[in-house]
Parts: sequence; C-alpha cells; structure tokens
Amino acid sequence: MSEPNAATNKRLFLYVPTTFLFLFFVLPLIALVVLSLWQTENYKIVHEWTMMNYVTLATETAYITFFVRSLVMAILVSIFLVIVAWPIAFFIVRFGGKYKLIFSLLLAVPFLSGEVLRLIALQGMLGPAGLINGGLIRLGAAPLRFIMYSNSATFIAFVYLYLPMTVTTIYLSLLNFDMRLTSAASACGAGRSRIFFEVIWPLNLSGTIIGFLLAFIPTLSASLAPRFLGGPNGTLYGMSMAQQFGESGTWALGAAMGVVLVLFSVASLVVLSRAVNLRRTGFTGMER
Amino acid sequence: MESMTFKDFATKWSMGLILIVAYVFLYMPILHILFASLSNHPNFPYPPDFNPKSYVSLTTNSIYQGAFINSMIIATCTAILSTVMGFLATIGVLRFAGRRALFYAVFFAGPLFVSEILLGISSMSLYYLVFGLQGNMVTAIIANSVHTFSFSFLVMAAMLYKYDWRMNEAAIVCGATPLRAFREVMLPLTWSGILGSLIVAFVLALNGLDISFYLLGATPTMPSVAWGALRYGVKPELYALSSIVNVVVFLAIIWLYLKVRADKTATAE
Repeated sequence: MSEPNAATNKRLFLYVPTTFLFLFFVLPLIALVVLSLWQTENYKIVHEWTMMNYVTLATETAYITFFVRSLVMAILVSIFLVIVAWPIAFFIVRFGGKYKLIFSLLLAVPFLSGEVLRLIALQGMLGPAGLINGGLIRLGAAPLRFIMYSNSATFIAFVYLYLPMTVTTIYLSLLNFDMRLTSAASACGAGRSRIFFEVIWPLNLSGTIIGFLLAFIPTLSASLAPRFLGGPNGTLYGMSMAQQFGESGTWALGAAMGVVLVLFSVASLVVLSRAVNLRRTGFTGMER
Repeated sequence: MESMTFKDFATKWSMGLILIVAYVFLYMPILHILFASLSNHPNFPYPPDFNPKSYVSLTTNSIYQGAFINSMIIATCTAILSTVMGFLATIGVLRFAGRRALFYAVFFAGPLFVSEILLGISSMSLYYLVFGLQGNMVTAIIANSVHTFSFSFLVMAAMLYKYDWRMNEAAIVCGATPLRAFREVMLPLTWSGILGSLIVAFVLALNGLDISFYLLGATPTMPSVAWGALRYGVKPELYALSSIVNVVVFLAIIWLYLKVRADKTATAE
C-alpha cells in the first residue's frame, strides 16, 4: 500500500480517535487521581496534597465492608454468568443455524433498554407485590423474602443486567472458532469431555475472560442496583461512592473510591489478560 | 455428521433448556411491565386488560416532555459523534495500523473496561472540579460518546473486517475521487455496520443514567426523571415510558436485522 497520502490518512484515521480518547477518557481519569489527593471541607475543594482519603478508606470498617461485599458480589456474579452463558452461546452457535443472528440480536433488546428501566422491570418481578410474590400470595403460599430488598435481589439484578453482554462475548468467540476441530478431535478418539476441556474451552478462553470482565467490572462499581434492590445490608462500594458525590458532598473521598475501583478493574484486566490472546476472540478483523 | 447418541441428545437439549430459561428470564420482566402499563391493576396485571390511561397521563406530563427532548438531543449527538470517531478508528485499525493494530484495538476498546459511573465521575472531576466548568449538554454528549465509542468501534470492526479495500482502489483507478469512492462504493457496502453503530450508540446514550447524571446537574433526562420517580414508588406512567422505549428498541433491532439479512442476500447473489 504505497499511496502518496498514506501518512496523512494514518494521521486522520488513527490519531483523531486516539486524541479524542486521550482528551476525554485518559485525562478525566488523571483528574480523578488528582482530585483524590485533595480534600473537601464543607462542600468546597481544598487544594492541599494529602493521602488522607486513602487512609480513611483503608482504615474505616464501613468502607472495607462495602468493598469486600462488592468484590465477593462481582466474583460470584461473573462466575455464575460465565457458567450460564457458555451453554447458551454454544447452543446458538452449534444449533442456531440460520436463526443465529435473531438469537444474538434478541439479547441486545433487553441490554439496550438501559439500567434504570430494566431495574424498574425487575422490581415489578421481585418486589413485595411483584409477579413472583404476588403470584405466590394469590396461590396461598408465603412470599419469598430473600428476593426482596436483599443481597440476593441485587445478585439477581446483576445477572439480569449483564447476562446479554457475557453471552454475546462468548458467542462471538465461539462464532470464530472452527467447529471442525471438534470433529477432528473426535475422529482421533477423544471423548466428549476431553474435546471440551482440551480443545473448545482453551481456544475460547480469551472470549470467556473478556465476558467475565465485562460483567465483573460494572458489577464491582455498580451503584443503582444495590440502592434500589439491596435493602438495608446491601450497600456496595459504588453506591457509597455515588453518595460521596451526592448527598455527603465529600467529592475527594469519592474520587479516591473511584481510583480504587479503576485500579481494581485495571488489575483484574492485567491479571486475566495474561491468558488472553485477542486474536482468538470475536473481535479480530485486525489481522489480515 | 456423527450419529446422534442419547447422550448427545441430552447435552443438546439441556443446553437448549438453559437458553429458553435465560430468554424467558430476560423477557418476562419486559412483558410484565407492558401488561402492567396497560392494566387497571398495575401491581398484578393478570389477566391482562387494555387500558391506555397511563400512556395518556405520560403524554400530558410536562416533566417527561422536557426530559424527553434533552435525552433525544444527547442521544442524537452522541450517536453521530461516536459513529464518526468509531468509523475513523475502525478504518485506522483495519487499514493503517499495520503491526500496531492490536495495540490500537485494545486502546479503542478501553472505555468498555471502565464502568459508566466511573466515566461520569471522572469526567465531572475534570470539567467541574479542575477547570471549574459547570456541567452542560456538550460535556454530557462528549462523555457519553467516550462510552459508546467502544461499542461503535467493535460493531463496525465486526462488520467491516471482511471489506475488500481493493474496491476503493478499483474505483480510484477508474477515475473516482477518494471522496466519491467512499460515498458510492464504500458507504453502501458498509452501511449496515454504520447503522448498527448509530442504533447502539443512540440507544445506550438515550437510556444511560450514570454518565449524564454527573455531567448535567439539574437538567433532566428520561433516565434521571425515571430514577427520581422511583423514590416515590413506581407509577404506571413509568411502566408506560419503559414499555415505549422497549418497543422502540425492539423495532430498531428488527430493522437492523432486516438490513443485515438483505446485505447478506445481496452479497450472496
């Protein structure tokens, strides 16, 4: 490709979006770090460099509890999602035939409805007078308490919110996977479980990990679902962070919580991406 | 193909069963609130009746109208900005990045791995607290675009990576200007990717709460009004609003599906 204006093109096509992301994605994250090293007093920012916010976060039991709860929740939700998403994605790719596209687009509809509207819908199902408990009461049974305003309700909400994302990622990975490899392994005498664990799973591991992360990261910093469904013992880290920026007006502390969440997201990304080879995921196309 | 044993059959249909349960789980709440929005008894709308009064009270509610206009402006501008940026990024990565393609692809997908609330809070920190700027529609549009940019990039990359760049060259050899080659050769062939990106970015920005919430302050958007109304208990109008959005999203996805399928038949011929 030796067009005379190749360099100009490269500048336009690569550097414009790069600059855009740098200015409006990287720079805000730096601003967050800067803010987290300042203080807020009486709803005003004090420009004094200090580590106080981080000390508060590391010593106060409430924040540690919220963080551990968020972390456990995020790990449980993402593992559960991966376990459930695999058979769904596999079924669509293997047996979906010409309906594959419909199946995958049907996942996008609930995803695109947005978090707030989906939580409202879910509340209609799980709430005290919702479909499940309303139905149980009508049948004369006792309502299920654990799905109302509890951590289980939040768990169900996260599964509901991020299932489409996880299935889609694993689906894209499997779509790029050459199913003939399984026939080859089978012809060579490998059993069903051996084919899965030695051929299908490792070759789709990168897609699986991305699917895991795309559920893990938003769950870790989620604020709406626990606030709406979590009940009295359901405060999560992201929800507490949102309160620092809202009611309490302690922005600097909230910024420090944001930095903790970003660092944790990046760390999980780095640790898990050691196992990832992006070329084997659905998002190839960069390779020619 | 190998013959179906009983075990294969059992594996296949247990996966199928999980799929059915998952789709029911995803769609049951949506159907439930559709029934609720049309019912005289919104808490337990079974058997369903058809009473449009919640839709009527939604259209006469002025809070929702202002919020609707704001949301439409944000979503439209976000969709355009994010699709333009995503289009540049896609072509940059597919065509001009060479050996650094993977690096750029990971960078462009980066915002996916930072949650919306963190994007909102960090953008707010930059504009408001460091530069002293008040939040406004422009900053909300930019911050939303950062979030949707990655989706635009991935949607278009997935649909464009099979594009044959020699077609552009062929058009230019035949005397077309690069702009004309783009407009008359490339655009029609890549339109479904662009449309997909526009739809996804538009709908994400329309329905996202976190980013706009931290950048707009008191300016209402549809999700923020819905969220505010939640504190006073869910009202049938909210169910109506939600059902309208769901139906619109559903129709947009069907449109996209028909478009992609038409493209496939066209290339197959």
